[in-house]
Amino acid sequence: MSSESPSVRVTRRMKGTLRSALLPVWNVLCMLLAPLDRALQPIANVYNRTLGGHFGEMNGLQFAVISLGFAAIATVPFWSPFYSETLNITFAVASIWAIFAMSWDIQSGYTGYISFGHSVLSGAAGYTIGLLILHYDPSMGPATTIPVAVLASLVLGLVIAVPSLRLRGPYFSLITLVGVLLFTNLIFAFSGWTNGELGIHQVDPFTYEPWVRYYYMAIPMLLVALGLIYISRSNVGMVLVTIRENERAVSSAGLDPTKFKISSFVLSSIPMGIGGALLVYYGRAINPTSFVEISNSIEIIAIAVIGGMGSVVGPLFGSFLFFFLEEEFLRDVIGDSSLRTLVLWLFVLSVLVFARNGVFRVIWHGLGAVRGDSE
Amino acid sequence: MLSGLPAVLINAALISALYALIAIGFTMIFGVGGVLNLAHGALLMAGAYVYLLLARDTISVPVFESMTLHPLLAFPLAVVIVAVLSYLLYAVIVQFVEDNPVVTFLATIVVALAATEVVLHYAGSATHTYTLIPDGMLPSTIDIGPVDGILTVDVVGFVVSWISIGLLWVYVTKTDSGRAIRATSMTERGAQLTGVNVHAVRARTWLVAGALAGIGGVFLGASTSATPNMWLHPLSLAFIIVVIGGIGSIKGSIVAAYLIGFLQTGVGEYLGQNFRGILSLVLLVIVLFVLPQGLFGREFDHE
Repeated sequence: MSSESPSVRVTRRMKGTLRSALLPVWNVLCMLLAPLDRALQPIANVYNRTLGGHFGEMNGLQFAVISLGFAAIATVPFWSPFYSETLNITFAVASIWAIFAMSWDIQSGYTGYISFGHSVLSGAAGYTIGLLILHYDPSMGPATTIPVAVLASLVLGLVIAVPSLRLRGPYFSLITLVGVLLFTNLIFAFSGWTNGELGIHQVDPFTYEPWVRYYYMAIPMLLVALGLIYISRSNVGMVLVTIRENERAVSSAGLDPTKFKISSFVLSSIPMGIGGALLVYYGRAINPTSFVEISNSIEIIAIAVIGGMGSVVGPLFGSFLFFFLEEEFLRDVIGDSSLRTLVLWLFVLSVLVFARNGVFRVIWHGLGAVRGDSE
Repeated sequence: MLSGLPAVLINAALISALYALIAIGFTMIFGVGGVLNLAHGALLMAGAYVYLLLARDTISVPVFESMTLHPLLAFPLAVVIVAVLSYLLYAVIVQFVEDNPVVTFLATIVVALAATEVVLHYAGSATHTYTLIPDGMLPSTIDIGPVDGILTVDVVGFVVSWISIGLLWVYVTKTDSGRAIRATSMTERGAQLTGVNVHAVRARTWLVAGALAGIGGVFLGASTSATPNMWLHPLSLAFIIVVIGGIGSIKGSIVAAYLIGFLQTGVGEYLGQNFRGILSLVLLVIVLFVLPQGLFGREFDHE
C-alpha cells in the first residue's frame, strides 16, 4: 500500500514506544539467560557439527528448548495425568492436526501460494478408506487401505495443483477454496455412496487404549516432521522460499518454478493423506464436518499461523498449543462452548494482527538473540 | 405450487437481484483496497440477526430482550447497524493488515468464524424464520402472470435491491464522493494525485458495502431463514459472481449475478437441490482458467 492511514501510523508509533519501554525487561532476561546459553553451547555444537547441516543450526538455548519440546511430546502419556485425564487424547488429536499444519506449511507457508483447500486432501484419504471398507471389502486392514488412501490424496493433490498453480495470489487461494466447496457438494450429491451428512462409521479404530492410541498418532507425526524439516532446510526448501519472495529469481537461476510448486504440492499431499488416514483410524466418523468442510482448512491455517508460517516446526508446536487452549485450558475457564471457540478465534485474530510471524518464531528468535546476535 | 418454466424464470429473476446486491458490496471492497473480504457473508448474517434482534423477541440478548420495532423502522436501523459494523471491521482490523493480502484473507475469514460463534452463543444453532412484510399491509404471496404463490418478500427484495443498485449507480457516477470511490478502484495513485483522500475513500467503501450487505442479509434471512452458518453459501456465491463478472466491476457483478441466479435455480429445479452449487462452481473453474479477468474485469496484478 502506498501510504498508511493516520490511525495505523499512531498504532505503529505506540508499538515502538511499547517496545522501548519493555527493553529493560528484555535486557534483564538476556542477562539471566546468557550464561545458561553459554553453558549449553558445547552440547549444541556437537549437534551443529553432525546434524546441523541438515536440520538447521541452533545456539545452546534453542537446542535445549527444542529438545525439551520434543521430549515432552514423546512422553505425553507419562506426564499428562498430572495435568488432566483427557490431555493425552487432546494431544493425540493435536498430533494429527500437526501433520496437517506442517503439510500445509511446506506448500503454502513456503511458496506463498496460500491454499484454502487442504482439507480436501485429507478428506480424499478419509473417504477412500471409508468407501473401500463400506463398498468393497469390510475386512480390509489399515495395511492395505492406508497406502491406497495416501495415493488417492496424492492423485487429487496433483489434479488440483497442475491446473491451479498457473494462477497467482488470491486467484490460487480462491480456486482451492472452490475445491473444498465442490468436494463438500459432491459428498452430499452422492450421499447414496457417502451417507451424506451422517458419514461413514464402519471403520474400526486402531485401538481404544488411550496411551497406545497417542503413540499411533504421535510417531507418524514425528516421522513426518523429521522428513519435512529435512526437506525444508535443504536446497528444495530454499527454492520454495525463493518462489515466495521472488519467483522471477527462480526462473533466472535456470530452475522451473512450476516444477517446484507442483513438487511442493506433492510433498504436502502425501502427509495430508497420512494424516487423513490417521484421523479415520483415530476413530472419527468420516463425514463432511470433521474432514472436508471449510472450517477444517481454516483451522489448519490458523494452527500454522499461530506457530509461524514457513518454519514447519512452528506449526507442529502451534497445533499442540491450539488444542491445549481449545480442549484443556479454555475448557476449564469458560464453560460455554461457543464462547470458548470465540475466544480461540479472537486469539488467532490477534496473532494475525499483532504477531503475524507467529508466536513460536518470536520466541525462537528471542532465544537466538540472548547473547546479542540477532537471529 | 411452483412448477414449470415460468416459475423457474420468475424466481431466478427475483433471487438474482439479491445476489447482485451481495456481490456488488464484495466487489467494491476488492476494487478499492484490493481486499477480498471473506467476512462479507458474516455481514449478511449480521443483517438478518440484527433485524431479528430489533423486530422480534425470539433472541435473548440483554438490552434488546423484548424489543419489537415495526419492520419499517427495524429494517433501516438494521442496515445502518450493519454498515457501522462493516466500517468497524475495517477500522479495527483490516486497515492494520491490508498491506499483506494473505493475512487479510485469513483475518477476515477468522472474523467470519468468530461471528458464527457469537451467533451460536446468543441465538443458538436453531433456525430462525421471520416475515419482513407487516401483517395486513401486503398479502404474503402474489401471482405474477401464469405463476401463483410467489412470496411477496422475494418481490419486495427484488424491488429494494434494484432501487439500492440504482441509488448506488447514481452515487458512484454523479456525486464527487462516489466518483472518488470509482477513481480509487481504477488507479489508487492517480486518485491520490488528483487530491482524493484514499483512506477516507476506503472507509467510505466499507460503509457503503456494509449497507448493501445489510439490505441483502435482511432479505436473505426473510426469504430463507437465519442460521449461524448462513454466511458461507452467499459468500461463495459472491465469489463466483464476482470472479465471473470480473473482480472490481459493478456492471460485471450484475450480469454474472443473473447468469448464476438462473443457472442455480434451473439446476435446482431440474437436476435436484444437491447439484445446485456444483454447476456454478464448475462454471467458475472454467472462467478462472479461460478468462481469469472475468467478463468485465481488468486482470488483477499481484504486487
